[in-house]
Amino acid sequence: MNISVNGVAYETESSPLTPLLDVLREELGITSPKAGCHQGGCGACTVLVDGEARRSCILPAAYADGAEITTVEGLGAPEQLSTVQQAFVHHYAAQCGFCTSGMLLAAQAYLNHGGTDDPSGIQEALGGHVCRCTGYLKIVDAVAAAARGELFDLTTTAVGKYTTLTGGGVE
Amino acid sequence: MKVVGARIPRYDGVAHVTGRTTYVDDVRVPGTLWAKALRSPHHHAGIKSIDTRPAEEMEGVRAVVTHEDVPLNVYGHLSALGIPADEPLLAEGDVRYLGQPIALVAADDEDLAAEAVSRIEIEFEERPALLDVRKAFDADAPVIHQWGNWYPHFEAEMDRRQIRKGDVAAAFEQADVIVQGAYRPAAIEHAPIETQVCQVVPEPSGRLTIYSCTQALYFSMGVVAAHLQCSLNKLKFVGGTTGGGFGGKVDTATETMCCLLALRSGRPVKWRWTREEEFLCSSTRAPWHMEVADAVTSDGWILGRKMLTLHDAGAYARFSPYGLTKHSFHHTGAYSIPNLEFDGYVVFTNRSPTSAMRGFGVTSVSFATETQVSRIADVLGLDPIEIRLKNANRIGDTSPNGVVYTDPSTVSTLQALAESTGVELSAEYRTMTSEPRTGEWLPEHLVPQLGNPEEH
Amino acid sequence: MATAALAVTDEIEVLLPGSEAEAIEAFGDGKDVVVVGGGTIVVPEMTYGRLQPRRALLLKDAGMAGMAEDGSRTTIGSATTVDALVGLPAPLGPCAANIADGEIRGVATVGGNVCAGAGREAPRGDLQGALLALAASVRSAGAGGVTEEPLEEFLPKRRERLVLGISFDRPARGAFAALDRPHTHDYTALAVSGARAGDGAVRLAATGGGSWGVRLPSAEASADEPERAGAAALADVDPRDDALASAWYRKKVLPVLVRRVLTELEEVA
Repeated sequence: MNISVNGVAYETESSPLTPLLDVLREELGITSPKAGCHQGGCGACTVLVDGEARRSCILPAAYADGAEITTVEGLGAPEQLSTVQQAFVHHYAAQCGFCTSGMLLAAQAYLNHGGTDDPSGIQEALGGHVCRCTGYLKIVDAVAAAARGELFDLTTTAVGKYTTLTGGGVE
Repeated sequence: MKVVGARIPRYDGVAHVTGRTTYVDDVRVPGTLWAKALRSPHHHAGIKSIDTRPAEEMEGVRAVVTHEDVPLNVYGHLSALGIPADEPLLAEGDVRYLGQPIALVAADDEDLAAEAVSRIEIEFEERPALLDVRKAFDADAPVIHQWGNWYPHFEAEMDRRQIRKGDVAAAFEQADVIVQGAYRPAAIEHAPIETQVCQVVPEPSGRLTIYSCTQALYFSMGVVAAHLQCSLNKLKFVGGTTGGGFGGKVDTATETMCCLLALRSGRPVKWRWTREEEFLCSSTRAPWHMEVADAVTSDGWILGRKMLTLHDAGAYARFSPYGLTKHSFHHTGAYSIPNLEFDGYVVFTNRSPTSAMRGFGVTSVSFATETQVSRIADVLGLDPIEIRLKNANRIGDTSPNGVVYTDPSTVSTLQALAESTGVELSAEYRTMTSEPRTGEWLPEHLVPQLGNPEEH
Repeated sequence: MATAALAVTDEIEVLLPGSEAEAIEAFGDGKDVVVVGGGTIVVPEMTYGRLQPRRALLLKDAGMAGMAEDGSRTTIGSATTVDALVGLPAPLGPCAANIADGEIRGVATVGGNVCAGAGREAPRGDLQGALLALAASVRSAGAGGVTEEPLEEFLPKRRERLVLGISFDRPARGAFAALDRPHTHDYTALAVSGARAGDGAVRLAATGGGSWGVRLPSAEASADEPERAGAAALADVDPRDDALASAWYRKKVLPVLVRRVLTELEEVA
């Protein structure tokens, strides 16, 4: 298969039936998409395939042949985080971080398709993604803030609806 | 203090959003072998014979281990807390829950390891299974544990966790109403998005590097050292990054087996559980069976409580006696009930051994207590917040196990609850404090349980 | 290379036909070949070793996707994604929208959904219910050549056939009601589809009432009395306990969904 990941072209040897997730993780060593269930049920494996959010654990490699794959590294690096990555940091939308890659890519696809800060739209778009840590509220807040095009102060976190601490960042 | 009270971002936040956080399965070591387990297909069975040679003889299979290869197969993880050992690392002679690990195979790839597992020849003799804690006490119940069907090693070799306080018989005599309830929360699977996983690398120095998803690094280190009968300095644990645990990654469920395979093969070994294994075989929060009877007055004082708890430990004790003990200390929850008769049993069943999960032991009894108090309010026709404020813990009240409260927060929490939900309390409840009881808030029956907060 | 993945192995022969004719030929009589539409149902089965075919037929390049309207008849190619159906009128549109989430719908195919086997943990083949209500017919290939038959007759042999396309006459009115759970990506525990044809005839079908989509003839017989029809529908189903819901619960909910669908069908558009 010929696939391009974050702009880098690869020629892969795995069987065309191998799930894209396993091609990325096992053959190419790109480990940011995660294997949460290997049955399409949790969304930790989601990547963008030609801009569309797809579950890589159940997508045969053949379906990515000739496609441009985006993983979370393709959104932005630490020196230059994308809006939605910054939003997740500022809104404390990641705890253990294992679902985060899939969440970010689904959120990015949602925003690319004109998604707004409407919580029900965000929940519909990210509805296939399971998080066991955060309870989802801060993830929705982060995506909504990104949709509004907010700028984020990464030295502190947002005051959420349920936050009781009102102190600012570290001096 | 610059950090306390400040809103600071996670130190690993940027790594999480850029895919740079390294979880155990992201650790890639050349030459790694892949592990798969032979697991019990039965709830309860004797192992009549096992022959691993057909697996060992397969090309690409580098190691197979059974209980015979474990220097100390039965080790009690909480032996430091007085809980003796009962659970084998790998099954020996019998299996007591569906999914119990019997043998581990390490091979060049996962498919091969799975195929090798299926070639292990094993003969079982099925035995009747006990799956309902209530039946464990029947005379004709199958006996499924060498200690009997419930844990008998509490202090002074008692077979239950027992609390007696005050005079519960008198309380039940004096009561206007007895309110009863039975509460049976089901098991809950932690379901972290990252399943159990471990990578072990044997070093040329003779040490083992263990990449672990454990929540309890030094604790797991001790468990592995005990099973392997090696000194702690032989183990280098690398951890602290977990894709969720919630109490389900304290069982040290993979590390020792991977070490054995690494030692046997001389190669790095990785074992990662599928989601199905995680659901079927990993520990869960225990199911509980609780029966509560409260002796109450018609104006809403809870005079006394009788309670029976059956905690479903699954096939082995693991941490259950500890969980039940915490449960017993908190069985009156946010309220001061002076006369108590509590009996709790750690009951064995042929299910996956249960383990810690957020609020281990206490969430169950909080659920029972709060529902019970609401039930009492219903029966008596009283306001559910006022009845709680009346019986709320105050400074100087004592817990079921005699701890004197010096700073209880029941009253302030209930008042904040009322305010935030728009419930208007009458003046006396609105101005109530947690200060030691006096006057009408100190009826006679609450006097004997008072303690001196100064002495604490 | 030796893959460290779960059971999807290099040993399965992968066939990638470039046209419908090539797909039909590659499928042959369907023995020992698994058809992969989007793969959302069969790839996990292979990953977990429950499906181990010698050959896999991937339809991605066979040009079998697309929807066409010819007069009152709609024809849908079997490789059409579930997502493409979302805008269609009830029952098919809302039924498709209720399946999983956008990421799955964008890959899952109509043909794959129609051919879904009974799920272990949950009912599958959501579209079967809606298409039964629409009196859909299936054009398929396999032993004996290309045939076309009503979906009801096709379903018992769906594992041996290669679906080419599905067609139905657009109803005068359609309706769909499902047992909804908070998380959008759950499988459907129970759903009822209904369609009223131009001549007033009502067809009802359920997903989750049995191993695959089933008609509800007992309910159809009292279609003008929704309350009665709801109760009568219980005779047509044999639900199981599974991870999503108990048979008992499904039996409690079925009459409610039937009543809702019939009530909606009665409304003037």
